[in-house]
Amino acid sequence: MDKNDKSSKGQQGININVLKQGLCTGCSACVNLCPSMEYYKDKTILLHDCNLDKGRCFTYCPRAPTDFEMLRRELFDPEDMVLELGSFKGLYMTRATNENIRTGAQHGGTVTALIQLALAQGIIDEAVLADNNDLLLPSAQPIADEDEVLEKARSKFVVSPTVSAFNRISRAGEGKIGVVATPCQAQALTKMKVNPVLEDKLRMEKLKLVIGLFCGWALDWRKFQKLMKEKAGDFKIKGMDIPPSNHACMEVYTIKGTIKVPIEEISNCVRDDCSYCFDMTCEFADISVGSARSKEGWDVDKGWNQLIVRTSKGAQLLALAREKGVLEFKKVPDNNIEKLKKASARKKHACLMNLAQKTGNWDDLIYIDSGDPVVRHIRGMNFGQQ
Amino acid sequence: MLEAKKDFEALLMGNDAIARGALEAGVNVVTGYPGTPSSEIVEQLAKVAEESNLYVEWSVNEKVALEVAAAGSYARLKSMCVMKQVGVNVAADSLLHIAEYGTRGGLVLVSCEDPGALSSTNEGDSRPYAKMMEFPLLEPGDFQEAKDMAKWAFELSEDIRNIVMLRSVTRLSHASGNVIMGELPKDRPKAAFEFSSIPMDQMKGPILAFPTLVDPLRRRQLEKLSKAEKIFEGSPFNKYTGPAKPELLIITSSVCKLYVQEALDILGLWERVGLLKLGTTWPLPSKLLEQHLGICEKIFIVEEGTPFLEDNIKALAAEKAKQVGIKTFFGRKDGTLPPVNELNPDLLIKGINFILGESYQFVSDEYKAKALEIIAAGAPVRELTFCPGCPHRASFWLINSALKLDNRAGFLCGDIGCYSLGAGPCGFSTIKILQAMGSGMGMASGFGKLDKFGMTQPIMAVCGDSTFFHAVIPALVNAVHNRSDMILVVLDNSGTAMTGFQPHPGSPSGAIGTRLPVLDIEKLCNSLNVRVEMGDPFDLKGTRETMLDLLEDGGNPRVLILKQPCALSPIKKGQKMYEMAIDANLCLADLCGCNKLCTRVFKCPGLIWDTQKEKVRIDEVLCTGCGVCADICPAKAIKA
Ligand SMILES: Cc1cc2nc3c(=O)[nH]c(=O)nc-3n(C[C@H](O)[C@H](O)[C@H](O)COP(=O)(O)OP(=O)(O)OC[C@H]3O[C@@H](n4cnc5c(N)ncnc54)[C@H](O)[C@@H]3O)c2cc1C
Ligand code: SF4
Ligand code: SF4
Repeated sequence: MDKNDKSSKGQQGININVLKQGLCTGCSACVNLCPSMEYYKDKTILLHDCNLDKGRCFTYCPRAPTDFEMLRRELFDPEDMVLELGSFKGLYMTRATNENIRTGAQHGGTVTALIQLALAQGIIDEAVLADNNDLLLPSAQPIADEDEVLEKARSKFVVSPTVSAFNRISRAGEGKIGVVATPCQAQALTKMKVNPVLEDKLRMEKLKLVIGLFCGWALDWRKFQKLMKEKAGDFKIKGMDIPPSNHACMEVYTIKGTIKVPIEEISNCVRDDCSYCFDMTCEFADISVGSARSKEGWDVDKGWNQLIVRTSKGAQLLALAREKGVLEFKKVPDNNIEKLKKASARKKHACLMNLAQKTGNWDDLIYIDSGDPVVRHIRGMNFGQQ
Repeated sequence: MLEAKKDFEALLMGNDAIARGALEAGVNVVTGYPGTPSSEIVEQLAKVAEESNLYVEWSVNEKVALEVAAAGSYARLKSMCVMKQVGVNVAADSLLHIAEYGTRGGLVLVSCEDPGALSSTNEGDSRPYAKMMEFPLLEPGDFQEAKDMAKWAFELSEDIRNIVMLRSVTRLSHASGNVIMGELPKDRPKAAFEFSSIPMDQMKGPILAFPTLVDPLRRRQLEKLSKAEKIFEGSPFNKYTGPAKPELLIITSSVCKLYVQEALDILGLWERVGLLKLGTTWPLPSKLLEQHLGICEKIFIVEEGTPFLEDNIKALAAEKAKQVGIKTFFGRKDGTLPPVNELNPDLLIKGINFILGESYQFVSDEYKAKALEIIAAGAPVRELTFCPGCPHRASFWLINSALKLDNRAGFLCGDIGCYSLGAGPCGFSTIKILQAMGSGMGMASGFGKLDKFGMTQPIMAVCGDSTFFHAVIPALVNAVHNRSDMILVVLDNSGTAMTGFQPHPGSPSGAIGTRLPVLDIEKLCNSLNVRVEMGDPFDLKGTRETMLDLLEDGGNPRVLILKQPCALSPIKKGQKMYEMAIDANLCLADLCGCNKLCTRVFKCPGLIWDTQKEKVRIDEVLCTGCGVCADICPAKAIKA
């Protein structure tokens, strides 16, 4: 087979259309399916050439040509579709009732609380969560013990090999699995679920819950680690966050206090592939969770989450959380939906511009179908010079 | 080697003939560094070292080998130093000084060369050293001459008191022919180094290369060279065959004599063409040449290697133009013969036809086409590959994986040994620079200093255990001292495997088999105060971790020693570590999930793809039971 065959639907297709194009998100969907793709640090590596003209790597890759409209049809109620936000059953502001969770979590601890609940109720038997080491390098682990969920809380701004861990455990065990995923990871899981290749049918039935994280971008580990070494030296980093954009910095929490890193320096560490991402609110999940925004200001907001319910399964879980008192709710400010729509559309628009710039052709958006209704809608929008 | 009495006729390989010639000359000290096609000479002499009271050693490299042999000569012993063409470059610095001073006991440098680079990375021709450094050069033209000239080289050396070079080529060293034996001497000389006289007293003074002595030393050296030339004029190893007034004179040396003879036999041209075969090719016997250049206008010079004879004879012809007249020369330079690569009778037939305007075709086009067809259909495709169970396959699997995972466009600099194949598919094309012995390490030392010009690629070098001692140590010291950011991987397979397990300073015994102290590579590296890790290439998981960790730990030189004896090593005694078995039910074959990783990528010859069952199977005969493929298989279908 011709090594430069662009039309390959196997590893060569991935290599030419995704890896070499700089589109790979490191979602790790193609890892742990075969020995030829591996994950190292925060990158997916083509370790051995494979000459099959069809492969699961290509089938599941969110950056290989993807029919998003078909995925939406398969997963969601058409009535719920909102062009900018995907399937939308409601926007909520929540936080974990348990204060312990809130202190240990990124924002309101909603994700941690929901995962704990799903485990306690037997909705899932284990959850794939992201952990990281002293060097800020994420790993992904199956967690079955409710108490351990909190230990894995907080955002890791470097991509975690979450889907590869799902691939591994879904093949081995019998249990029902939940995953906390970034948008690219959730897309990959959806492609797997909707269109599993033969031997994957069984294991995909084990995927019972996807909690999505809103995502603006992720950071490149090597660049980020270098920067953190410069900024924080050997101080152990407990966490980090980016307050709303008017603060224009990243806050890094260390045992010695908070270090503020100018946002430009962080921007230099963003993964290149994130600029080709079409999804900010993690549209292919049951529930998607992000930080909250309100008039009360960041000091209050950072203890809350904003979440979108997307599927009936997600709605049931949220209802259960309300019923069990696991989450506290407060009223969502009136214009938050519009703000969210605008932020999401802005990211989508930038993605399309970047893809079109790469190909020099608005009708060739590499992995996104230019005829997709959302694409057509976003193309028509005007954001001025960004 | 020893049993054959005088006048007994035996079938000998060229290298054996050279060894026998040295014995007949009464050689005492034999040194060398292994390298194809030279290695058998030292090995043969090592076998009879005890009985013949020889000192034989495999030296750490060719320069030291020559120095050890020179010490023998300075102590009035007959000494011989053996190497392949590239070795002469390594020895060249000492060679220049030894030739300038001269010798005491006979000293012969044997260089076995490899025209066509059959087992080399180059076509080096070391004959120009004889001219450049002004010492005599002999080129035997057949097997008898190989023995006779080896013996005579010692006599010549003692006659003129300087080093003599004997040059062989693969087709002489490794082919066999009938040789009539001569007498073996019985005397046992006593060694001593005298320094009681003045420096210019060649036999009794101290041996000093002082600037003020260079002028008289060189004058003395040139006298030796003229003396050699006088001897060469009458040498029976220079011989003319053919008519008194030929249409064409062919001048040749070495095995080309045999090629020319065959060509002239086939063409039936002995009546028209004369053949002057030279055994002494530097200095040229000018009178003899003058005499023969005069008999004919067309001169065809046939030699293996560079146009050494061609240039020198042309210069001589220009000098003697008045006496011999204007000549037309044919050879490698005008395209009558190809400018590079080995010669053969076919090429000579073509050349002679071209010069004489004949059109005899030895092999018809039709026959050629048919032969090619049969070869293509009948001969199995054999890739150049590592042996089954070769630790290098595992090592390159690891290095390749580590560099790819590391994902910073890191690369590997290699050098000379079996592991040079690491540049090919069987080594997953991991080596990206491959040149001379030890050069990988030296270049890595250089690349590792280019960070100030924005170079961010991780740098690795590989060398074998023998190469480590041969040429890597100075380069490693250089990297350590200059704080170069690189990783040296020593592929320690416990012997000089490529040339036939000759021992090296890390081995427990020497050429003769006596026990010798072992130099420990790990300890040597540790003494350099750098990070040194040990690994087993067969431990894919553990060693990969070590490698990745070394790659992260940049800034300074680091060393990883991968220890696992060669699959063919006598230490392993052909025993299998594991009995391998296949569980065909688990084998994924060419399904997505594997796609025959074992036989498509890893490709140990011990694994066979059963095209009928569409599953892998173990070749019981070839498999050495190293167990590595069990860790390669993602489906656990291969069991150790
Ligand atoms: C790379 C990244 C970028 C983000 N960008 C935005 C943004 O632009 N806007 C916004 O509103 N929110 C963003 N978020 C989400 C936000 O940081 C919080 O994760 C979210 O608000 C949930 O808060 P929480 O308190 O409920 O989380 P927690 O209760 O602390 O739980 C977080 C969960 O996410 C998992 N997790 C952490 N890091 C990763 C990772 N890299 N990959 C997969 N799972 C992970 C943890 O294992 C844990 O289970 C981002 C998150 C990530 C990881
Ligand atoms: S599946 Fe994910 S990790 Fe693999 S190539 Fe595609 S984007 Fe990269
Ligand atoms: S690597 Fe294992 S699964 Fe793959 S073809 Fe070989 S034996 Fe079968």
